[in-house]
Amino acid sequence: MKPRLAFFVGDPNGVGPELSARLLASPGLRDRAEVTVFGDERLLPETARAGHAFETVPGLEQGALTPGKANALAGEWVIQGLTRAARAAHQGRADAIVFAPLNKQAMKLGGLAFPDEQHLFADLLEARGYTVEFNVIDRLWTSRVTSHIPLKDVAGAITTGGIVDAVRVIHESLRRRGVAAPRIAVVALNPHAGEGGTMGREEIEVIGPAVERAKVEGMDARGPFPADTVFIAAKRGDFDAVVTMYHDQGQIAMKLMGFDRGVTVLGGLPVPICTCAHGTAYEIVGRNAANPVPLSNALDLALRMAAAKSVQ
Amino acid sequence: MRAPLALTMGDPAGIGGEIALKAWSERAARGTPCFLLLDDPDRVTALAHRIGIAAEARAIAAPGEAADAFAYVLPVLPIGMLPAVVPGRPEARHARAVIAAIDRGIDLVLAGAAAALVTNPIHKHNLHEAGFTHPGHTEYLAERTGLATAPVMMLACPELRVVPVTIHVGLAEALSALTSAAIVHCGRVTGAALRRDFGVAEPRLAVAALNPHAGEQGLMGCEEIELIAPAIAALRREGWSVSGPHPADTLFHTAARRAYDAAICMYHDQALIPLKTIDFERGVNVTLGLPFVRTSPDHGTAYDIAGSGRANPASLVAALKLAAEMAARRAGGASGERG
Repeated sequence: MKPRLAFFVGDPNGVGPELSARLLASPGLRDRAEVTVFGDERLLPETARAGHAFETVPGLEQGALTPGKANALAGEWVIQGLTRAARAAHQGRADAIVFAPLNKQAMKLGGLAFPDEQHLFADLLEARGYTVEFNVIDRLWTSRVTSHIPLKDVAGAITTGGIVDAVRVIHESLRRRGVAAPRIAVVALNPHAGEGGTMGREEIEVIGPAVERAKVEGMDARGPFPADTVFIAAKRGDFDAVVTMYHDQGQIAMKLMGFDRGVTVLGGLPVPICTCAHGTAYEIVGRNAANPVPLSNALDLALRMAAAKSVQ
Repeated sequence: MRAPLALTMGDPAGIGGEIALKAWSERAARGTPCFLLLDDPDRVTALAHRIGIAAEARAIAAPGEAADAFAYVLPVLPIGMLPAVVPGRPEARHARAVIAAIDRGIDLVLAGAAAALVTNPIHKHNLHEAGFTHPGHTEYLAERTGLATAPVMMLACPELRVVPVTIHVGLAEALSALTSAAIVHCGRVTGAALRRDFGVAEPRLAVAALNPHAGEQGLMGCEEIELIAPAIAALRREGWSVSGPHPADTLFHTAARRAYDAAICMYHDQALIPLKTIDFERGVNVTLGLPFVRTSPDHGTAYDIAGSGRANPASLVAALKLAAEMAARRAGGASGERG
């Protein structure tokens, strides 16, 4: 049976609709998935809608369409679109969700009641546990224990329990992706992984014990590894996942290793939800210049995760 | 004839001897510039046999002999006999020779008998008993040369140059050690070195932010507003071309790198993650602000593989090449002024 995919076209003023148009019209997609597109007919040509189910997200007024600019009405409509896609999954009508780029500012202006779409989905899908965003390039997955906080608050924010949660969620998501025993590298906080406690003690007191506890739970966690070389090993294929301690620790390496192919997965939710790693790219809207690969990769990954889930 | 580079032996229980032998024996393929090794010639020859490198280390009496000898043998300027060395097993009794090699190298380069100093990795803990209490080479060199201001560490590969403002301290300590003055000092020393040693007439510096998304106007940290932006303003007032603070995660990709000659980074891993991700093998450590050129390979003693023949000389060769280029520019700049 083909996986059923709920697809949302993203912020109407960004590159989402044009990327969606290309992706949805691509040959073979209709054979691989049963797609329901959530959007508006004005945003997608007939060639993109043909062969897919289409659900109009109501309320896209003319004033919402300001290409290249964040807009409160557009943000409101995006929240509607995500809500409808989530509802389809929650009611068992979709096995996975993919959405094209959103704009956080527009969603905020449009009245988003959560810090980001991750929390919106968690609420709509009634996910109570730990949720986190994964960055994926090819076969390598990463997540971070802390995210949008000042660097000086990181040491105080990482806890053994929090790291074990992060390892567990990426472990479970990778199993859903079809990796039977994911090899998970946990990154150190300090240079040279603290060098035996001489350059910081978090490795000894917090991160090391988390790795041990994850092992006791039966996961293949390793580390803590120095941040400057762990990605080399991961790129070489030594690990399936890397759990970092703070935002830039993972993002610097991941953006160097393949920003042009990157996928974001929302983890810890009951259905696979994927999107491309880049944003709305307002500065190039309407030129059909945006790279179609990341969104296409996001769709491939969502379908694979949905298929692996249905086998389990 | 140009003076040779002086390469110190580093910790003899580490991989320094092996990578020096490989840098020499593969000199044609790798384009290794002429260097002399400060070491015990007998132990270097024995090491070559042990790991199966067809190389002879021969003692020279003076640095001036290195250039002729280099075509046939690895020239070694003896620094005294070493007690028996077991690869991978560091010993305190080697400390005296390790320090002597560094001292001799400093003397040679200060006297003009060596063009630049290149140091093999040491392990500071093993040198403590011999009275070496400095955190590393850099601090020792600063003291020996009577520097008034702190030297600055740069890491360079052909694609990227990075300068961490804070270095070998835990992240929490690095954050409290970060000041505007330290950023300004690093920017100044880096700008001057780019001009003098790297041939960049109009250096462009990019300063990395500390916090995610450069702090987003103070929402995710205030250091950008309170420390980094004022440092950038101060450097600009001195006439330097400086941009930033830039979000660190988008500062290092190919297109971004075209906009600067060196990136000033706020902490160790912010500089080292991009450098190693871009070029894992050829990173070179450069000390800026010394009265002479000093480089070193960007790795440690690697005791775990010492003596096995598996050590990769790429970083040492890159360090030798960069030192030769920098020294030639300094010498060329001086003669150009005369002309």
